Amino acid sequence: MTEYVIIGDGISGSSAAETLREEDPDANITIITDEGEPLYNRILIKEHAKGKLPEAPISIHDEDWYAEREIELSLNTHVTTIDSEEKIVRIHEGEDIPYDKLLIATGGTPTQLPVPNSDAEGIHHFWTFQDARAIRESAEAADDAVVVGAGLLGIDFAAVCGAQGVEGKYLMRGDRWWRYALSADGAEIMHNGMRDVGVEPVFDSGVDHFETDDDGQVAAAVDPNGERYECDFAGVAIGLTFNTEFLYGTDLEMENGIVVDEYMETNLEDVYAAGDITRFYDVLLGEQAQNGSWGSAKEQGRVAATNMAADAQSEEFQWVSSYSITHFDFPFLSFGHPTLGDEHAERRYSDTEWRRVAFKDGKIVGGVLIGDLSPQSTFKKLMRQQRDVADQAELLLEQSVDMDKLAPAQEQ
Amino acid sequence: MATSETIDRSPTLRRVESVPPDATVRHIDQLEEPTLAWFLETLESGATPTVDAPGLEDGEIIVFTACYRFELS
Ligand SMILES: Cc1cc2nc3c(=O)[nH]c(=O)nc-3n(C[C@H](O)[C@H](O)[C@H](O)COP(=O)(O)OP(=O)(O)OC[C@H]3O[C@@H](n4cnc5c(N)ncnc54)[C@H](O)[C@@H]3O)c2cc1C
Repeated sequence: MTEYVIIGDGISGSSAAETLREEDPDANITIITDEGEPLYNRILIKEHAKGKLPEAPISIHDEDWYAEREIELSLNTHVTTIDSEEKIVRIHEGEDIPYDKLLIATGGTPTQLPVPNSDAEGIHHFWTFQDARAIRESAEAADDAVVVGAGLLGIDFAAVCGAQGVEGKYLMRGDRWWRYALSADGAEIMHNGMRDVGVEPVFDSGVDHFETDDDGQVAAAVDPNGERYECDFAGVAIGLTFNTEFLYGTDLEMENGIVVDEYMETNLEDVYAAGDITRFYDVLLGEQAQNGSWGSAKEQGRVAATNMAADAQSEEFQWVSSYSITHFDFPFLSFGHPTLGDEHAERRYSDTEWRRVAFKDGKIVGGVLIGDLSPQSTFKKLMRQQRDVADQAELLLEQSVDMDKLAPAQEQ
Repeated sequence: MATSETIDRSPTLRRVESVPPDATVRHIDQLEEPTLAWFLETLESGATPTVDAPGLEDGEIIVFTACYRFELS
């Protein structure tokens, strides 16, 4: 009987466990997590922090779900190392866990700002349900906030401030939000969205240090220009540090994440990885890439498990990821790899509508849609088909994208 | 002639202001591609769609720029 061990009960680990049970009904499956609760909906915890969603609908599996499927769930269990020669997983206390096939699905942890007082009371990072509960409590009591980190996770803090009636200053290093994917035109729409919910973007700023009061509670953020922003709440989202420290003693190939092929196999025999933590071979892009999104993590878990159970390279991971921001009156959707590519096309349609498409070697590799998401399925389809369309960018920027107007794939 | 069941079960999206604790809730990024396309089209057109909605359950709430309850009225 095969012993499968999964480290991490996020969406990638949990989806792998479910697939393994379907594919290998007799196997032993163990899933280990250092969190105190089974799988919950990480992409909805922001709605809880905003005060819009009660706790119950955020839970995805209770402990019975695992018991019914005869999946051994170890909560509050931190993996300290793996021995890939002996095929053993070591945990912080308790007996070693042997495996035949291992999946590492440990995701990341928000990076702390390397500035004085960044661990003061009232300064929050956002990854777990526990974080969301603390953020909600803190924001409900706060008057003034500072948000740091001009990316997809930072904006969730801005939205929490808006929803909880906290006056926020969003300190950004450059001249706009998510400058790697948005031009000034696109970013301006997002800045107006922030202003509409009561959060003021502050450019060419950042945090040099935090000030605290006598109780160690954050009192202000001081930016590199010496500007001081009073706050009793701060949200920091400057990036993720992948949870790989327990793997440092191993021969696992890592490069800011665990390197896997399109089958989710690492360089070590019978060791697979899935989810945010992977640097995977993206068959559509033709190079190694990283995704940080729910759908991609779920699919990677499923694909890894399929290959683990088959004991073969039976299915490759082929996926166009997408990530939405739904905090404002207008929607935002980023798809594929909008920050990669060698050329791009973009257009602004109105005060709340903008579009950017990124191309590599003539093919779409990603993009951003603000306001009107209707072309998203067409763009994703063109990506999956790997159609050469960069020379038809004008058609892709028409308000309504008509696939039939594009030159047929065989004529290219 | 259509049965009353088919008439009665045309799908709609209704905006809701609060979410009860026993609701099933998903974020838009959890929808499979055909469901996502249906959801966006339905919201955009504002009309009751004639085609079946794929992949959504009666009463389920989808978090988008607001919360929308999927109803088989
Ligand atoms: C606030 C927030 C909002 C988001 N919004 C969106 C969104 O709108 N759309 C979207 O697509 N994505 C969103 N994401 C990203 C999405 O949640 C992630 O991409 C996805 O959840 C990653 O899943 P995962 O299984 O790879 O990793 P995780 O969910 O991070 O799971 C990894 C698990 O492994 C555990 N672990 C780590 N190390 C160890 C160890 N040594 N021993 C035992 N256990 C360990 C961790 O505690 C964790 O439970 C958001 C993320 C956050 C935090």
